[in-house]
Amino acid sequence: MTTVRERNESAWLLPNDGSRTNHRLRADMRRFADSDTVDLVVVGCGAGGSTLLQRLARHGWRVVGLDAGPFWDPDADWVSDEAGSHHLYWTEPRVISGADPVPMGSNNSGRGVGGSMVHYAGYTPRFHPSDFATRTNDGVGADWPIGYQDLRPYYEDIEQELPVAGEDWPWGDPHGYPQRPHPVGGNGEIFLRGAYAAGITAKVGPVAISNGRFGNRPHCVYRGFCLQGCKVNAKASPLITHIPDALAHGAEIRANAMITGIGFDERTGRATGVHYIRGGVPRFQRAAAVAVAGYSIETPRLLLNSASRRFPDGLCNDFDQVGRYLMVQGAPQTAGRFDAEVRMYKSPPPEVSTEEFYETDPAQPYKRGFSIQTVSPLPITWAEHVAAQGHWGARLRRYMSDYVHWSCLGALCEFLAQPGNRVTLAEEKDRYGLPVASFSYSQCDNDKRLMRAAQGVMERILRAAGADEVITIDRYAHLVGGARMAADERHGVVDRDCRSFAVPNLYITDGSVLPTQGSANPALTIMAVSARAAAHLAAGGR
Amino acid sequence: MSGRTGGPRGTGSAGAAPRISHATGDRFPGFDVLAQSGHWDAVTAGVVLSRVGRPPDIRFFTPAEEAAATALCDRLLGQDDGEPKVEVVPSIDARLAEQQTDGWRYADMPQDGQAWRDTLRFLDSDSRDACSRDFALAPADDQRAVIQAVQDLGAKDWHGLNAAHVWSLWTRYACTAFYAHPSAWNEIGFPGPAYPRGYKNPGVNAREPFEVADAAPADDPVDGKDR
Repeated sequence: MTTVRERNESAWLLPNDGSRTNHRLRADMRRFADSDTVDLVVVGCGAGGSTLLQRLARHGWRVVGLDAGPFWDPDADWVSDEAGSHHLYWTEPRVISGADPVPMGSNNSGRGVGGSMVHYAGYTPRFHPSDFATRTNDGVGADWPIGYQDLRPYYEDIEQELPVAGEDWPWGDPHGYPQRPHPVGGNGEIFLRGAYAAGITAKVGPVAISNGRFGNRPHCVYRGFCLQGCKVNAKASPLITHIPDALAHGAEIRANAMITGIGFDERTGRATGVHYIRGGVPRFQRAAAVAVAGYSIETPRLLLNSASRRFPDGLCNDFDQVGRYLMVQGAPQTAGRFDAEVRMYKSPPPEVSTEEFYETDPAQPYKRGFSIQTVSPLPITWAEHVAAQGHWGARLRRYMSDYVHWSCLGALCEFLAQPGNRVTLAEEKDRYGLPVASFSYSQCDNDKRLMRAAQGVMERILRAAGADEVITIDRYAHLVGGARMAADERHGVVDRDCRSFAVPNLYITDGSVLPTQGSANPALTIMAVSARAAAHLAAGGR
Repeated sequence: MSGRTGGPRGTGSAGAAPRISHATGDRFPGFDVLAQSGHWDAVTAGVVLSRVGRPPDIRFFTPAEEAAATALCDRLLGQDDGEPKVEVVPSIDARLAEQQTDGWRYADMPQDGQAWRDTLRFLDSDSRDACSRDFALAPADDQRAVIQAVQDLGAKDWHGLNAAHVWSLWTRYACTAFYAHPSAWNEIGFPGPAYPRGYKNPGVNAREPFEVADAAPADDPVDGKDR
C-alpha cells in the first residue's frame, strides 16, 4: 500500500511560504513542439483531463494538456469577491432552449486549468451502487457498462488525493473519509438542528477542503468564497491536486489554447492530433492518441465541429449519439428565515448533507431521488433567490437587508437522461468562427415531481429548525452526459474504458461519458472514471 | 463591478462607503465594510475599491438608453430617494461594451447588448403610450406602473419578446451591479472580502469583532403586509 505522497506529490510541490503557486515548476515545465508526436494530447485540464495527465505522466507517457483558459495563479488571478470572479466561468456565447432552458456560466461551466472544480463548492460524494443499473432496477435512465465495484478503488484513491473530509458515510456503499469533518457554521448548524428535529439523518461532509494542513496546503480559513476560487489552496481542484505532480513528471500544460478541431486520417481511421488557436495563430499538435475532456457542452461541440468525409455529421457520430442524454440536476434552493443571525456567508458553503432520499422509494410517485446540502449563497446569488420571488424595488431592498437572518439549503434531484436533451450546433459563431453550442433541455414528469418533493423536505427541515418563513427558487446544477459510455455504439459514444467506439485512439475522459448522475455532485466520479481510463491506457491501451 | 476593466480610475480613499439606506433604515449602525479594507489582499482590494471610485465612462448606451436604463435600474433597486446611491448603469454599460455576458442567452432573445437596447426602447414606447413622456422623464409612479406591467405578463409576449426572459435580463444585471457595491454590503451587514483574514466565529448568533448586530432583528420582511 503506497502513501498518497508516493502516488501523487502535488500538495508537497506547492510553496510553503504563504504564496500559492510554484512558479519554478511552471517555468521549468517540459515543452513539446507541435511537430513532436506526443503519446497523448488532452483537450481540457479540468477534473477529467488533469487526472488523466497526472496518471499517464507518472507512467512515463509524453503528454500535453491544452486548455482554452488561463493557467491560474490564485494569488494574482482570483479575488475574494463575487462579481470580480466572472473570469472563472466559461462565458463564450451559448444558446439555451427547450421547455426548461438551463442557464450556463457561473453555475456550471469552468474555464482554465482546474476547470469547474476551481469554482465548485467542494462537495465530493460518491455515487451509490444503484446508480450504475437504474434501467434494470428502476426502469428509468440507463445501465452503465461498468459497476460501482469497478470505480470503488479509484474513489478511494482520489478521496485521499484531494483529500476529502467528512463523517463516516452511511449511505450507498458505507465508507469513511481520510479527514475528520470540518466544524460547521451557522447554516450547517441550522441544517443539523432541523434534520434532527424532523427525524432525518444528516452528516457533515463530504467536502474536498483540507481539514488541517495537507502537504504544503494550509488549513481552511472559513472565509466562505469557495465558489470564487480558493485563494487559500485549502479547497481541492486539479490545479493544486494533480497538475503539479503531472508537471514534475514531464507533462506540459499549454494554456490559452482554444481547440478548434480533432485531426482525423481518412486512410487509417485514426485521430492524428488537435487543431488549436493560440495567440491568434492556428496550430496543430500531433499526437498518437487524443483524449477529449471539455465537459458536457464543449466536448460534444468539438466532436460536432470535427466533421470529415468519414464522419459527415461530426466525429464519432455514426449513430446520432453525440450531444444526447445530457443531464443537469434539478437544484431547487429553499431558504428559511430566523430571528437569530445565521450569517451563512461565514464558512464554506459545503458543510452538511443528507442522502436519505437518494434511492427510489416505492411509496413515492417518482423513481430515483435527491440529496440535500447546505449552499450558503453570497449577496449577488442571494439577490437572485429573493428576486425570483417577484420582489423588486423597495421590497427587494428590505428583503435583502434581512440577509444575515437566512439559512439556505439546496437539493440535487436526479433528472433522467433523455435523448432530446442535447447539444447541437447553433448558427451563431464564436470569435474563432466556430458554431457555438445550442443546448436544449426539457424536464420529464419524474423530474418535476422530484423538484417538488425535494422542496417539501427542505421546507420540513427549515421549519423544524424554527424558520418562520421559507422561500424557494428553482435552479439547476451540474452537467453530465452528452457523449455517454455504453455497451455498444448504438447507445453511446465511448466504451467502458472511455475509448470511442468509432476511432480507436480517441478517448473521452470527462463528465460527458456518465450515463446517469444520481443525486451526487459529479466531480469525484469524473475524476474516478478518468483515473480508471488512465489505468486502462497505461496497461496497454496505447 | 467593472474593477478589472477600463483605464486608470480612482481606487477610492477607502474611506467609509456612502450610506444609502434611506428606505430600509440603518439596520447595521456604524458597520462599514471599508473599515476592514486594510486586511484584504491587494488584488481583491484593487477590484473592490475601484467600485467606490469614479464610475467608468459610458461607452455602450446612447444618451437616451442611458437615461432609460438609469430610471429602470433605480426603480428595480428601490433607489427612489435621491443621493447618495449606487451608480449601477456605468457598470452594466461596461459589461455590455466588453460583451462580458453570463455565458448564455435564451434562444428567443437577442444577444444581451441588443436585448438591452431593444427593451429600453420598448420602455420608452410603453411610457409614451401611458403618459406621453419618455420613460426616463415620467414620474416615478408611472415608471413603476410600466415596469409592473412587464412583470405581470409572466412569460407572455412583450413587444415580441418573452417578458419573463426580459425580466431575467434586467434583474440579473441590475442586482449583480448593486450587490457588488460596498454600500449595499453595509446595508445588509455583509463584510465583503475575507482573505487572508477568514472568519473565527462562525455559528448562529456568533459575530466577529468587526461585525455589527442587526438593530432590528424582528424586522422580518415576510411578516404581515409584505406577504
